[in-house]
Amino acid sequence: MTMYNQTTDERVDKALANSFLRQATRRATDRLRNNKYKAADELGNWEEWRAAGEAIRKNVISNLDYYLNQLIEQMEKRGVHVHLAKTPADAVTVVRNIVREHNAKNVLKSKSMISEEIHLNHALEEDGVEVVETDLGEYIIQIASEPPSHIIVPAMHKTRQQVADLFEPIAGHALSSDTPTLTRFVRTQMREKFLRGDIGITGCNFAVASTGSIVMVTNEGNGRMVSTLPRVQITLMGMERIVPSFRELDILLNLLARSATGQRLSSYTTILTPPKNTADPDGPEEYHLVILDHNRSEILGDKLFRSSLNCIRCGACFNVCPVYRQLGGHAYGSVYSGPIGSVITPLLEKDWKKWGHLPYFSSLCGACSEACPVRIPLHDLLVKLRMRKTQSGHTPQVERQIFKAYRYFFTREKTLRRALRLGARLQWPFVRNQRITGGPPPLSNWTNSRTLPMVAPKPFMQLWADLKNKR
Amino acid sequence: MSNTSDFISNLASKLGRPTPTEPPPQVELSVPQYRLSNTEERVSIFMQNWQALGGKGAIVRSADETLQCLKAWFGEQPITWFKENSQALLAWDTLPTIAESAFSSLNWPLTRYSQSAFDPRDRYSIAANAELGITGSDWGISLSGTVVVKSDPLRGRAISLLPPRHLSFIESTQIQDNLFNVLEEVAALGSPPAAIEMISGPSRTSDIEMDLSIGVHGPIEVYVIVIDH
Ligand code: SF4
Repeated sequence: MTMYNQTTDERVDKALANSFLRQATRRATDRLRNNKYKAADELGNWEEWRAAGEAIRKNVISNLDYYLNQLIEQMEKRGVHVHLAKTPADAVTVVRNIVREHNAKNVLKSKSMISEEIHLNHALEEDGVEVVETDLGEYIIQIASEPPSHIIVPAMHKTRQQVADLFEPIAGHALSSDTPTLTRFVRTQMREKFLRGDIGITGCNFAVASTGSIVMVTNEGNGRMVSTLPRVQITLMGMERIVPSFRELDILLNLLARSATGQRLSSYTTILTPPKNTADPDGPEEYHLVILDHNRSEILGDKLFRSSLNCIRCGACFNVCPVYRQLGGHAYGSVYSGPIGSVITPLLEKDWKKWGHLPYFSSLCGACSEACPVRIPLHDLLVKLRMRKTQSGHTPQVERQIFKAYRYFFTREKTLRRALRLGARLQWPFVRNQRITGGPPPLSNWTNSRTLPMVAPKPFMQLWADLKNKR
Repeated sequence: MSNTSDFISNLASKLGRPTPTEPPPQVELSVPQYRLSNTEERVSIFMQNWQALGGKGAIVRSADETLQCLKAWFGEQPITWFKENSQALLAWDTLPTIAESAFSSLNWPLTRYSQSAFDPRDRYSIAANAELGITGSDWGISLSGTVVVKSDPLRGRAISLLPPRHLSFIESTQIQDNLFNVLEEVAALGSPPAAIEMISGPSRTSDIEMDLSIGVHGPIEVYVIVIDH
């Protein structure tokens, strides 16, 4: 995955230079956002639904130990194998071992962000296992060896021609790039794979604690295939993905489907209470649930950021974010992009060096917080993350120098006055239309793409003093 | 790998208190729900929404009306299908009486999925090669045009999934206003069956340039017959 090796600037430059990507991202996010507005309006009382969604998620997160324990008990009672993974490496080991034990060669996957988070495919492929992403968008990016660019529409950045070009070597003949041809090709291609899959790996939208059930939402039906046909199923879930009972599930499913794609309900909503009844003619006989921590417990213990665990992964915040809409998902460099990705990636990965740029991928306009169906104050969390980063000493040298200088001048009144007078005189070579438009570094970092207001000929301090004298 | 008690007590310590021994108080839920006044209205809205999603639907009162409806939808197609594949119509072990008698009057033989082969993989191939999968539905949802199907040893989940067409029969009185009511029924089961499938229209995707396309994995055509006694 080449983009993981690029610097942030390289990724951003690449995205800005790709006009298709930018146009496609804007078009797709516009569509998703407008569909969401319609679906939300239709309920007539969206704010009440949001408030209920927030209350449910808060209740779950502040009692996560209780509900998780209940879920595990319910699952184990029925013979489900529950695996608790502290780290991504632990989760990968669990899955690898299950696959090895069954000597499985064909693994079918339906969409799972956790599998992206733990980089599962790569590990299984190293073991000589064929891993097939069965969601169309995931399949496209799997062939292209790229991470998803949107949490709901993972191949948003690809043109139909690029998709046809990716499929052609597999088809062994030329393919026209119209959508029906491409989807038909995938249907035929996948059918055969579905029928010979040894193990199915799925994600989990919600886990119902009271009954030990897993809820999965798809539009294509691939989630159903993967959870119906293979003899063994593995479900990967982030440990916060819980809902107490069916009573609360209604609200969250409504919020999810409406916020993600503007549907009243996704085409297929499946509630699994595994494993299958021994007499059932289909469904998995053996079921494994892998529950991943990966620093979510640290977030749980951190009151400032606990609310980020309330996310239901609907993608609504992506679709309204001016930064995401300009750049698409790959510029972020992380598995989770968009506003929520910028919040959780530094917390999950605990690596400011690598992910310290993310809290700055935001204009702090607050559109994300307004869009969020469970009312996570995303822009507020982004500001707090910036604070955390600064406190941890990971700000760039230049930034620290600037703030040092700022402190120096602003704690010395006379020096500040002198400096302002000097600035007012020296600025003239750089002023156009009453704005500073150039200057030496580090000022040029700013003025290369933006302008600055002029230093006022009479500073505020002087104006204030004059006013006082007049009275 | 962690054991459960370590894992859970770590969370409790992060939350700064011991794990509660009693269930936490339920969240007050007061969202105004979508409500309809009677079955007739429920059926009519359900049908509108089902059709808006691309499904075909009809309301029948007798075996004869069912037969007419099947004929109108499928015409002579089944005869052609049977020439190639005697197992073209794949069904649950038992369908509602109206459905059973309509199929037998039409002389369209039904293959019963659960008995179609011994090995599950063979059953899947039969389902994948079938032309039409026929099931009942346990509930319907008016607001979203959804049919809800429980799994059961005499049923089979692949019937509504692998064939290119899915036809489901539902009693009009089983159609509910909204998802909340259906989930209440599910909760009342105590322990739910291995799978509950909620199906709203055909299989769809917009993954290529946001262009809607039908039938990438699951059924391409979906039909529902509402039985109104
Ligand atoms: S943060 Fe909110 S809007 Fe963004 S994906 Fe999560 S739930 Fe959706």
